[in-house]
Amino acid sequence: MDLIDKLREIVGERVSAAPTERLCYSSDASQVKGMPDYVVRPISTEEVSKVVALAADFSVPVTARGAGTGLAGGAVAVCGGIVLDMSGMNRILEMDLANLQVIVEPGVVQARLNEALKPHGFFFPPDPGSSAICTIGGLIANNGSGMRCVKYGTTKSYVLDLEVVLADGRVIRTGSRMLKSAAGYDLTRLFIGSEGTLGIITKAGLRVMPLPKARRLVMASFEDAEAAGRAVAKTFASGIVPSACEILDRTTIAVLRRCDPNLVLPEGDVILFEVDGTKGSTKESAEEIARICSPIAAEVMIASGEKEMEEIWEARRLVGAAVSRLDPTKSRIYVGEDVGVPIKMIPALIREIGEISERFDLPAMKYGHIGDGNLHVALFIDVLDEDEWTRLEAAADAIHRAAIRLGGTVSSEHGIGAARAGYMKMQWDEGTLSVMRSIKKALDPKGILNPGKLGLFESPSSSSGGD
Amino acid sequence: MTLALTKTAIEMKTKTKIDPRAIEMCVRCGTCRSVCPAFEVLGWESRNTRGRIMVAKALREGLAPDSDVLDSLNTCTTCGICAAKCPAGANPPVIVQEARRSLVAKGVMTEAQAGLSGKVNASGNTFGEKAERLGWLSDAEVAGLKERADRVYFVGCLDSYRYPEVAKKTFNLLKRFDVTLLPDEVCCGSPLIRTGSEARGLVDRNLEQIKRIGAKTVITGCAGCYSTLKKDYPPDFKVLSVPEFLAEHISELDLKPLEISVTYHDPCHLGRHNGIFDPPREVIKSISDLVEMRASRENARCCGGGGGVRAGYPDLSLKIAKRRLLDVPSGVDAIVSCCPLCIRNLRDAGSEIEVVDLVDLVGRAIRSP
Ligand SMILES: Cc1cc2nc3c(=O)[nH]c(=O)nc-3n(C[C@H](O)[C@H](O)[C@H](O)COP(=O)(O)OP(=O)(O)OC[C@H]3O[C@@H](n4cnc5c(N)ncnc54)[C@H](O)[C@@H]3O)c2cc1C
Ligand code: SF4
Ligand code: SF4
Repeated sequence: MDLIDKLREIVGERVSAAPTERLCYSSDASQVKGMPDYVVRPISTEEVSKVVALAADFSVPVTARGAGTGLAGGAVAVCGGIVLDMSGMNRILEMDLANLQVIVEPGVVQARLNEALKPHGFFFPPDPGSSAICTIGGLIANNGSGMRCVKYGTTKSYVLDLEVVLADGRVIRTGSRMLKSAAGYDLTRLFIGSEGTLGIITKAGLRVMPLPKARRLVMASFEDAEAAGRAVAKTFASGIVPSACEILDRTTIAVLRRCDPNLVLPEGDVILFEVDGTKGSTKESAEEIARICSPIAAEVMIASGEKEMEEIWEARRLVGAAVSRLDPTKSRIYVGEDVGVPIKMIPALIREIGEISERFDLPAMKYGHIGDGNLHVALFIDVLDEDEWTRLEAAADAIHRAAIRLGGTVSSEHGIGAARAGYMKMQWDEGTLSVMRSIKKALDPKGILNPGKLGLFESPSSSSGGD
Repeated sequence: MTLALTKTAIEMKTKTKIDPRAIEMCVRCGTCRSVCPAFEVLGWESRNTRGRIMVAKALREGLAPDSDVLDSLNTCTTCGICAAKCPAGANPPVIVQEARRSLVAKGVMTEAQAGLSGKVNASGNTFGEKAERLGWLSDAEVAGLKERADRVYFVGCLDSYRYPEVAKKTFNLLKRFDVTLLPDEVCCGSPLIRTGSEARGLVDRNLEQIKRIGAKTVITGCAGCYSTLKKDYPPDFKVLSVPEFLAEHISELDLKPLEISVTYHDPCHLGRHNGIFDPPREVIKSISDLVEMRASRENARCCGGGGGVRAGYPDLSLKIAKRRLLDVPSGVDAIVSCCPLCIRNLRDAGSEIEVVDLVDLVGRAIRSP
């Protein structure tokens, strides 16, 4: 029996080998391309387990995919094989709010989870720009984060337990309902950020937080990024932990204005500080931040209207994809988009990126989570111009190298995938990489789980951990 | 307000050839996954906006079209919510329509597409009906139609053949404002244009009559006809929807309050595609309470009937409609809309609450019929 027939025995009609379907699953939001041979849409752990066991028998690669919003090619089958589209496993299984947790399937979309939690007064804090689209499984596999992570931490702070299908089809649990536990290796953390290379997540126990009663937004604009950086450092030094601390350079502000002309935003390079808590505490903190910023800033504004703030965040969330609003002949290409450096190096990074943008004659929009040192650089080009593509790649490479030189990382939250695999050797020394390789080989000796990712092995074809 | 809400009316010119830039506008962010009604039911990437754009791009680059390509493109209802939400400013329904057109031009289409095109071209209506289109009027009324008038009521296939009582009520309301009918109206061409076929013959036949009558304004009660008359016909006359016309003349209609509460379903081709959100609401509010649906105006979800989906994929079409019904607020007495296609689909999906045309509602409120 062919593989396709056996897959059909497991999932019925929810498998496709049609060229059109394979094409539609051949990329995510990055530039990485790779055609799977089969697309399978499982709806239960049992199906996932059977499919993976079958793939192991046939030595066929298996690549998990959530919503395909990844920016590193993580969900792209660069070595072919099976793409497991997990987005159909999208049930919220249990709201165990007395224990401050929920049990979900991996295909649940982040925003759907928060919609379900809101009436109960809770939320799941990691809030990527893609929250309306991306899945919990994708967030866990990439250790994704968002604007509020400066206060609340990244996805890894909220995962208590995982059900994982291993490379031979076995199903294990990595944790429990305990909010804390000290019993052996932390396997939960091992799978967080593993980008589908160690196992397929089929269930997750997540910790949730009570929704804050009030929020306030301080918007301050600055002459230049250095001044903005100083204001951020001073704010943190004062003991205030903002619930968001975002930088939006003047190009980003211009794009936001195009997206929604009614937004009230200051001019120039802007920092958005959000504070949450009670009515009284947010008022006090917002005023304190305004006071700290005033001597350095060109303009400071405070917003507290629920609707006004939500409009600003809503626009901010997807601004990265919206540069074509400034010039319809230009498209945002997600490369070099996720570097991070220790926060005091942010001004230096911004300066370097300015130079790179000039050197390669490519406009760059800069925005991101300045509060945790993560800067998103949006390079935009005319995609019909070959020369711009060449310059784009060179510029992205220069940005990655700059981040490493400044003691930072090539990815703060989007992951390594295939797009940044080549930088792993620059960022980690051989000793560290060899431990990562050993883990991979122990859990996936045949190298069937998402081969070609994370840059642990030389090239996609030699990424099999078996030899 | 979201990013999307700043774009009220979506450009949907159909004659322009899609340039590669239109396709490249898509950055594959996947935002459309959260809104595409067909994807919500079917779940495959090829049935989502992003997949359709990838297919359109591959077709330009030489992909050989097969039945899956056709199903990918043809399961799009052209509802346009993806365009309204797309952060990158892509206009997917136009890309889809253009891809369909280029395939049909090469003779590549589904049986449903071919059947529809054959039927409409042969009979002048979407049902292949041989009966008189003006059968809802008596012979005397037909004979008495004015040969010249400032305004024409364009009835559309659905109201002509399936909901003649709506046609009658609409015409009764409009008659007093120097409105006549086309003596030999044919389908506006919308079903053909949306599914990639030529509609030149139909368009010319209607145009010739509009000119002969000397009408400066064409009024229609169908969202599909409205969009087509406005965007696919030459701009020689003004196009008004029935709700716009009624809102303009509301004080002259002598309406009494109905003491009921209703909700309003925005037809995609009236709302998102043409920015007509307020006039129907003004009319409704003047005679009853309006409770909005869970998603309304720019965010309104599709009824599943458009873009050839009802004809080509009836099962999908009804599933989309069923989901739309979940947006209806509890406790309302009726769902009001301004498009017979939406009304029929919502009814067929088993709405427990009565689904009525705005004209029905107004009819009930008239003091002196
Ligand atoms: C407009 C836009 C804004 C974004 N903003 C942010 C942001 O602010 N912060 C941020 O962190 N990211 C952001 N991202 C990136 C992306 O949304 C995140 O990486 C997200 O977590 C990916 O989720 P997904 O469901 O789309 O996963 P996919 O892209 O489908 O997959 C991502 C990785 O997870 C693996 N995976 C998926 N499901 C499973 C599973 N069940 N088991 C094992 N492995 C699995 C895949 O193999 C792949 O390696 C943004 C992307 C876009 C397009
Ligand atoms: S059509 Fe728009 S929303 Fe959909 S993937 Fe492309 S850019 Fe994103
Ligand atoms: S127009 Fe509607 S049905 Fe078509 S791709 Fe966009 S959202 Fe989906």
